[in-house]
Amino acid sequence: MSTALKCRNCGSNEIEEDNARGDRVCMNCGSVLEDSLIVSEVQFEEVGHGAAAIGQFVSAESSGGATNYGYGKFQVGSGTESREVTIKKAKKDITLLCQQLQLSQHYADTALNFFKMALSRHLTRGRKSTHIYAACVYMTCRTEGTSHLLIDISDVQQICSYELGRTYLKLSHALCINIPSVDPCLYIMRFANRLQLGAKTHEVSMTALRIVQRMKKDCMHSGRRPTGLCGAALLIAARMHDFNRTLLDVIGVVKIHESTLRKRLSEFAETPSGGLTLEEFMTVDLEREQDPPSFKAARKKDRERIKDIGEQELTELQKQIDAHLEKDLGKYANSVFQKLAHGKSTTITSSPSTPKSISENELEMEESRQFIEQSNAEVIKDLIDKDEGVKKVEPGGLVSGIEGLRPDIEAICRVTQSDLEDVERTKAPQETELFIEDLNDDELDQYVLTEEEAVSKLDMWKNLNAEYLREQQEREERLAKEREEGKPERKKRKPRKKVIGPSSTAGEAIEKMLQEKKISSKINYEILKTLTEGIGGLTGESAATSTETKPTTLQEIKEQPVIVEEGPVVSKNSRSRPAYDLPGPSRKRVKAEAGLPVSQAASEEPAETKQAVVIETDDMDEDVEQEEADAEPEAEPEATLQDMLNKGDEEDDEFGYGFDEEEEY
Amino acid sequence: MQFHFKVSDAERDKGTAATSSSAATNPHTALQPQQPAALVEPKDAQHEIRLQNIVATFSVNCELDLKAINSRTRNSEYSPKRFRGVIMRMHSPRCTALIFRTGKIICTGARNEIDADIGSRKFARILQKLGFPVKFMEYKLQNIVATVDLRFPIRLENLNQVHGQFSSYEPEMFPGLIYRMVKPRIVLLIFVNGKVVFTGAKSRKDIMDCLEAISPILLSFRKT
Repeated sequence: MSTALKCRNCGSNEIEEDNARGDRVCMNCGSVLEDSLIVSEVQFEEVGHGAAAIGQFVSAESSGGATNYGYGKFQVGSGTESREVTIKKAKKDITLLCQQLQLSQHYADTALNFFKMALSRHLTRGRKSTHIYAACVYMTCRTEGTSHLLIDISDVQQICSYELGRTYLKLSHALCINIPSVDPCLYIMRFANRLQLGAKTHEVSMTALRIVQRMKKDCMHSGRRPTGLCGAALLIAARMHDFNRTLLDVIGVVKIHESTLRKRLSEFAETPSGGLTLEEFMTVDLEREQDPPSFKAARKKDRERIKDIGEQELTELQKQIDAHLEKDLGKYANSVFQKLAHGKSTTITSSPSTPKSISENELEMEESRQFIEQSNAEVIKDLIDKDEGVKKVEPGGLVSGIEGLRPDIEAICRVTQSDLEDVERTKAPQETELFIEDLNDDELDQYVLTEEEAVSKLDMWKNLNAEYLREQQEREERLAKEREEGKPERKKRKPRKKVIGPSSTAGEAIEKMLQEKKISSKINYEILKTLTEGIGGLTGESAATSTETKPTTLQEIKEQPVIVEEGPVVSKNSRSRPAYDLPGPSRKRVKAEAGLPVSQAASEEPAETKQAVVIETDDMDEDVEQEEADAEPEAEPEATLQDMLNKGDEEDDEFGYGFDEEEEY
Repeated sequence: MQFHFKVSDAERDKGTAATSSSAATNPHTALQPQQPAALVEPKDAQHEIRLQNIVATFSVNCELDLKAINSRTRNSEYSPKRFRGVIMRMHSPRCTALIFRTGKIICTGARNEIDADIGSRKFARILQKLGFPVKFMEYKLQNIVATVDLRFPIRLENLNQVHGQFSSYEPEMFPGLIYRMVKPRIVLLIFVNGKVVFTGAKSRKDIMDCLEAISPILLSFRKT
């Protein structure tokens, strides 16, 4: 090992490495080449009170340099990275929070991983660290299914639970973590333990679990806090097992209001399961599921409203219907009699225009019904068979048990006619004159006060706002003074980023995007614009096709050729390595100019075109950091504008997400 | 009648069966067979949409003296310490305007688009009567809040599971499911009893489109 190293001072190869001290010394000249080496083995030394490990532990996560933040006074050379400090602090705080919540180290690690994900997506910006930590821990609790409530965590951290909830939703949404819905059953054990039920705790909680499951079947849980259901179930269960727990006892444990608890109890009483006796409830499982109580209440209200609308109206309508029915019935009977009378003399089929006989009608109906039922049964059978086949193939994902339509991504991306109309409409000039023809001036005059009234109201207002007026005056005086003294006025805040609306064509969209986010400062955008226009004239045919097929989806917009290439054919994927070998180190090669292939086609104006699209790849690197690993393709002389645009897009996707989210809130 | 119900039931069975079978491949193929059942209900529901509140903004394009406006009208209040605009109310149509010094006015509380338009112009007319050189510019509906009752219970948990990237459902915080539809860009509050609140719409058509898009989804999460 030491043979490979050379002393910096004398060039000697004789270098001693001492793991115990952790340094590297040249044996020739005696200079210390390195100290505080990082070694992979642990050594111990004898100290006054036994053995101790030598040196300090360095975490595998640290990226080199001194990791012990705040250890010495001298932060030399490669100090601690800011991010590392952040993570270290987060780890400390999350671990502390987990300890307070009686969660094991495993949960703390998971939570820290969530935090790191959030940090790398810049979701922590503009949020309080306590909220982020708490949200990470809560996310862990939810994914692992522990019996912690949002309010427990906000209680420990001393923060608003709604604020925490918002942070948690934001994080879980941005990190695409699909978190299962709260299951009230989780909290039964926890609350049962706090009700001091002694040896019977388990039995009571089992009964309560059964009750909660029944409540869930009857849809009592959706849209309700899990604590309310747990409270009601525990109260019933405790009383079933001969404990004299009162409402107040339960309220103290589950922390909800008495009226909520009462409401849950009465809702449960209204379900058929609530009507069973104790023995029956423990043995019988009712098949029928009930509608949610709020749904039932809404229907009840509807019925009452219909009643209120006026029974006379309805009865009148009923009378009319009855009269019509009677009339029809009379006709019908008549025709039947006629048929019966005629039936003997004439054949039924001879007169298709006359009403058909009942028997035939019924027969037809019966037959068609049978046919439809049969064919339906077949179709359903087919589908079920097919269904089974499919189910065998797919290994049952996260939501395999749930039926229902999935979100329609394609429809979301589609540009509809109305969007284009909106764009057109915004362009149209608007009228500015006030149209008052249909307004009633007399009515409006009532709102306007007379002179005297106005004076009195102004006086009253001045009295009420005397303090404000004084402050205002003082402020103005102060400002005037400052202006005299020549203090610079405070800078105005920058206006917020404008949202790019929908555009009618792909070209327009790209133009907007270019305006919004300049890909490189080295590109002359004005000339670029003339370039695309010029192409339309040069290659008329291809330009025509591109205008004919208007893009309807994002996908198509991306695929639509922005610049028509006449020169050498370029593979679409710019990441693919160039076919030829690049001489010399790639880093230097990067300086080479990357021109558009268009320059060959538009040979009439070669100088201009070339100038337009000179790209210094160094600059590109800054833009496309994550592609640093394969920076060489940029040197490819045929890098098209489209490739660049795509890259810009990718970058948008990567980072824009976090920024947009933050902008909104 | 008997006959008719049989058919529609079969249709629905077919629809749901198709959903589960083709869910892995393409959700749109599943959408087709469901349509006959879905089409009936949103059409009924469209008549049930009730607009609850409309927010419109416009500009009179001149600087306003708020103190004068406050003192010369009886339907206004102005307490600059609390809020820096004049609050002006009106009886018919019942709506409220927030009037700012720059001439920008926000009109809220109207129950439909026509009322919002009339109300806005009435406010502008009042200002005109006070002697300001009033124009009527940049009138725009900013937000429409509407409700609809679909009259069937919905399984919110399952909806949240499948549409996780658009929805959030946390009964600990809010009893409804919050669905952020991307197109049209509207936020829906969906409750278990089938009542839905739309907010963030810019036009009545947005709400119609939104209902059309959401009702087959909700129907497929109907609690039976």
